[in-house]
Amino acid sequence: MNPTDIVRTILKTAPDALYVSSLGTATSALRAASEDGPHLYMGGSMGSALAAALGVADKQPSREVVAILGDGETLMGASSLWSMAGIRPSNLIAVVLVDGHYTITGGQQLGVPDVFGEVAATLGMSTATARTEAELAGQIATLSRPGLLEVRYDDRAWPGPSPFVDPPVVRWRFEQAATSP
Amino acid sequence: MSWQRELADALVEAGIEVGAWVPDKRLEPIAARLAERRIPLRTLPREEECFGYAAGYRAAGGMPLVMIQCSGLGNSLNAIGSLVIPYGLGFPTVISMRGTLGERNPSQMPLGRTTIGTLELLGVETFSLSAPEDARKLVKGAIAVADGARTLAPILLEGELELA
Repeated sequence: MNPTDIVRTILKTAPDALYVSSLGTATSALRAASEDGPHLYMGGSMGSALAAALGVADKQPSREVVAILGDGETLMGASSLWSMAGIRPSNLIAVVLVDGHYTITGGQQLGVPDVFGEVAATLGMSTATARTEAELAGQIATLSRPGLLEVRYDDRAWPGPSPFVDPPVVRWRFEQAATSP
Repeated sequence: MSWQRELADALVEAGIEVGAWVPDKRLEPIAARLAERRIPLRTLPREEECFGYAAGYRAAGGMPLVMIQCSGLGNSLNAIGSLVIPYGLGFPTVISMRGTLGERNPSQMPLGRTTIGTLELLGVETFSLSAPEDARKLVKGAIAVADGARTLAPILLEGELELA
């Protein structure tokens, strides 16, 4: 699987969810897989995507919310895993794309243990790891929320679209999507 | 009625729906009153998370409140500078000032003295609350800036409030 395949599978399994993506690979993949759908793409603010998803989940409790996060992003915003465990939003799943590298900055290695699932499990959240599209679709559909799903992949192909989004346009389109029934 | 209670009531009446905060002694009575008024409070471990959380809440159609101590502004600059400001996500932020009039802790001085300047460099105007009787007026103006002008609206709780 590559990042675009992964996000395409998630979108197919949860087509009505609200999506928040972290900067870099996650935003580029979500743009590619959704043909630039009305999602909350982060163009910067590394480490804040999961916190933003918590805010979205709190404001829209009747909507399913999916946070698509890079592994470096998740490390930088690691305290949000604690916040997620404290708030326990029943409508939020965090999907961590684990390839062990900081892709957008040139592919440097993370240099720390990539134990996202273990940390989330210790914090009392549901966790799973997917390595195939079938496992991924199954876990998106069934993993109880709040949950953290690791997706481990080796095909580190850059998805394509620029992650440098136009912020006011992103905000306006997302707000329309989030507030329409 | 205390100014903290006035401030909290004015925020509730202006339409804030949730508060994200990192605890602080001067903010505590505001948080307590917000809780009494049934505003959910999210106690988060880091100030930057409060801004990230509030950005998401605002983008999803709501009006959040952030409450932090000014020393936490330094932790928050990436979320403010590359999320809150460029995306036009305005919301009120109550900042408890340290490192100004009445401060006894040397470690609080540098960030206290640079809070206004830091925000101004980012293009964010700050609104100082020094007199208890101005609480309602300031909230009214800050909500207009946050809601209408879609701009971050920091209300600074100045040291004078405790010396009054």
